Amino acid sequence: MAGKLEQEKRAEFKRYKADVKKEGKPFFPYAVFHDTIMSLVVVGVIIGLAVIWKNTDILGPLYQAKADPGTTNFVPRPDWFFYFLFYLLRVFKWPETVVLGTVGVPTLCIVLLIGLPFFDRRPERTVLRRPVAMVAAILVVISMGVLTWKGATAKEALGSETVSLVPTWAAKQGFAGDPVAVAGATLFAQSGCLNCHSYLGTGSHNLGAPDLSAEGSKGRGIAWQIAHLTNPSSKTPGSPMPSFAALGVENLTKIATFLEASKGPKS
Amino acid sequence: MNETQDDTTQTAGHSLWPIGFSIGIAVLLVGLVVSWPAMIVGAALAIVFGLLWVRDASRTHAPVDSAPAHELVGDTPSPARAAAEEEHLETYGRSGFLTLATLGLGGVIGAAVVLPSLGFAVLPSFTGDGVETPSVDLGPITNFPEGTFVITTFIGNPKQGDVSKRTAYIRNNGVARVNGKAEPSFTIIYSRCVHLGCPVQPNGPTFPDKAVTYKDVSLTPVQPAGFGCPCHGGAYDTEGNRTAGPPVRSLDRYAFSIVNGNLVLGRHFSVGNVEGTGADAKISRYRVAYPGVHVDGVERWLYPIPVPGS
Amino acid sequence: MAKSTRRTQLDNAVLTPLDWFEERTGLVGGVKYLLFRNVPRDTNWMQTLGAATLTAFLVQATTGVFLAMYYKPDPNSAYESIQNITNHVTLGWLVRGMHKWGASLFIILMFLHMARTFLFGAYKYPRELNWIIGVLLLVTGMAEGFTGYLLPWDQTAYWATVVGININATAPIAGPFIAQFLQGGSQIGPDVLAKFYSLHMLVIPGAIMAMIVLHMYLVIRLGVTSPPWSPVAAGRKRDVEAPAGFGEYREGLIREHAEEREHAGEEA
Repeated sequence: MAGKLEQEKRAEFKRYKADVKKEGKPFFPYAVFHDTIMSLVVVGVIIGLAVIWKNTDILGPLYQAKADPGTTNFVPRPDWFFYFLFYLLRVFKWPETVVLGTVGVPTLCIVLLIGLPFFDRRPERTVLRRPVAMVAAILVVISMGVLTWKGATAKEALGSETVSLVPTWAAKQGFAGDPVAVAGATLFAQSGCLNCHSYLGTGSHNLGAPDLSAEGSKGRGIAWQIAHLTNPSSKTPGSPMPSFAALGVENLTKIATFLEASKGPKS
Repeated sequence: MNETQDDTTQTAGHSLWPIGFSIGIAVLLVGLVVSWPAMIVGAALAIVFGLLWVRDASRTHAPVDSAPAHELVGDTPSPARAAAEEEHLETYGRSGFLTLATLGLGGVIGAAVVLPSLGFAVLPSFTGDGVETPSVDLGPITNFPEGTFVITTFIGNPKQGDVSKRTAYIRNNGVARVNGKAEPSFTIIYSRCVHLGCPVQPNGPTFPDKAVTYKDVSLTPVQPAGFGCPCHGGAYDTEGNRTAGPPVRSLDRYAFSIVNGNLVLGRHFSVGNVEGTGADAKISRYRVAYPGVHVDGVERWLYPIPVPGS
Repeated sequence: MAKSTRRTQLDNAVLTPLDWFEERTGLVGGVKYLLFRNVPRDTNWMQTLGAATLTAFLVQATTGVFLAMYYKPDPNSAYESIQNITNHVTLGWLVRGMHKWGASLFIILMFLHMARTFLFGAYKYPRELNWIIGVLLLVTGMAEGFTGYLLPWDQTAYWATVVGININATAPIAGPFIAQFLQGGSQIGPDVLAKFYSLHMLVIPGAIMAMIVLHMYLVIRLGVTSPPWSPVAAGRKRDVEAPAGFGEYREGLIREHAEEREHAGEEA
């Protein structure tokens, strides 16, 4: 199969070997010197990180809690170099597509990586004359970076974390003196509302859920709030919000009071 | 090549024995997964056709060297041998035999070492070793107040210790009428998300001051409006049905029984969907499936083989 | 220039044992080729990333060996054995820290090395197989990180592994069996830690080392590429006209350079 392209490649390699023989410099000590310096840097960084980890808090604690297979308040995360795959799983959030995110896309990426020398058979190595390769590479780097970053910052606003914010909310919104509203705020934090809604800078914007920081200034009234919490689509047709009736009328009243007391930040 | 084929019954070219052998191996492998009678049939086919194939191959096998063996070794052949070679009859040659024997014995040794180790490593997945579902005693029913959930953490298998610690969200639904009889009804939801197995959290206030312990089971009342998963955003309602996110089915459940007034946990099973609530709920039960595995719908066909021990 | 006696003595001191060795093994010649073979003269600092990755791997292997002397792969004692290593074993905190951060650095360096190789087009003929081995090394390296993550047996370790095994379970048809194999049952059981330890210490490093040997053999045999932007790249075409200003570049670098300058001078 000695097509013209193949001949060209073989000729280039022949030239390469001749050039290296004629113009090259010995591996030892030239290249080995550079390699050694770089290796020294690597070892130095590793030791440095180990020392910093032991002696300061910047790199996190030396221990985490021991494994508890029955926990109900732990937030699992993989090692940082898997964050991009982790976030991919959050991107594929429809049940029918789960297998794409877990197996499909990663396998496809590996196949593409392995097949690279077979897709790109041009002998051209100059950077500016390989526009497709360079654009593809930049896109890959950017997307992996973005996915890793988003994976690192992804949060579920689950009760165990957000309850501590209630006093701040009470101060900002001015309902600290109203025990029913404060109780309602605690329930609001514990019941997973912030998984979809945002409030005073915490929470998410999932499924089109509105921000509730100024919910009380919309003049809806406590009765409306309770009815909405019990059956959301009766008040906002087509709403994907599930019912919170299971909390019981007493708790729903507290939450409604809190929502109505949220008129927007005072300052 | 100086071998002839006209004194064998073999037709020139490919024989059918390899095909039979491969079919035997294929049936053996399928039987390994599906049923052991098929395994025996497959093994028998493989052995029979394998022997026939070997017999054929060795019969028509020419000496490995293209020259008659005695020339390479520098022997002068005996008159009988020379005569046979004159007539182009099969002369087997010692080197040919030795080659075959070495390869064959080497193959046997290799198989004898590799297959048991491989089997040791891999077969338990297929035969269901290490999968146990003993019953767990969770204490008197009175510890489970009607209408509220209780976070129940228990040891699933005392022989395994802490590794088998598990949590279930248990709600006492009171009494249900099943076939005209009044029976206690419990909703027992397994705490692991059916997307990828993260520990699901209750969305609601917990009451740690009302927590109790029964032997090594800890029980904490909670009043969730639903359940949420901290990993990828899955959300469920109080029956375990998915309300948002990637979970592929409803939360798994446990079967239960009441023994001497105590709630005893039974088998773990998977749920496709739950209609209705509490004591009147209709639950579509399936064998236990891994998280991420669909139990109903079209995607079910991605996972056609049930896992042993489930 | 005749050598001084001193110099001759020094030379003999080194050469005599080497000759003894060479006569009996024939290996010294190979090592000499390895060390003193030519490489292109314009190699870049970016091309030290491969050696850096190898160093990171060797750090991991060495620290791993020492950790293995104190670590106990049983769910009931793994966590405590790591506390012991960190708090009581002399310099245990350093070895553990180096192993943990070395893992991250190893992965980062692999990605950087891969990017450099891509940039230089060093996956093209005749280095395709080397690229493929490299990708396999990347995947195996990440698998090594995954299996190692479980070993401290803390909360992040346990739950990240639960999710990782269940991800395997979602693979069509064979998925549930892969998960069952990894877990030793339908749930993470008491054997999973020892299994992951065996994979992390023996199976995967064995595969990595074998692939590294292949990878390095190919690098030595096929040579490293010059940077593609280098005007004196090894293997460059010769019938291209020298660009303007080339005469000023790295005066005296190569013999032909003088001829090309003449050539350009004639045409000007």
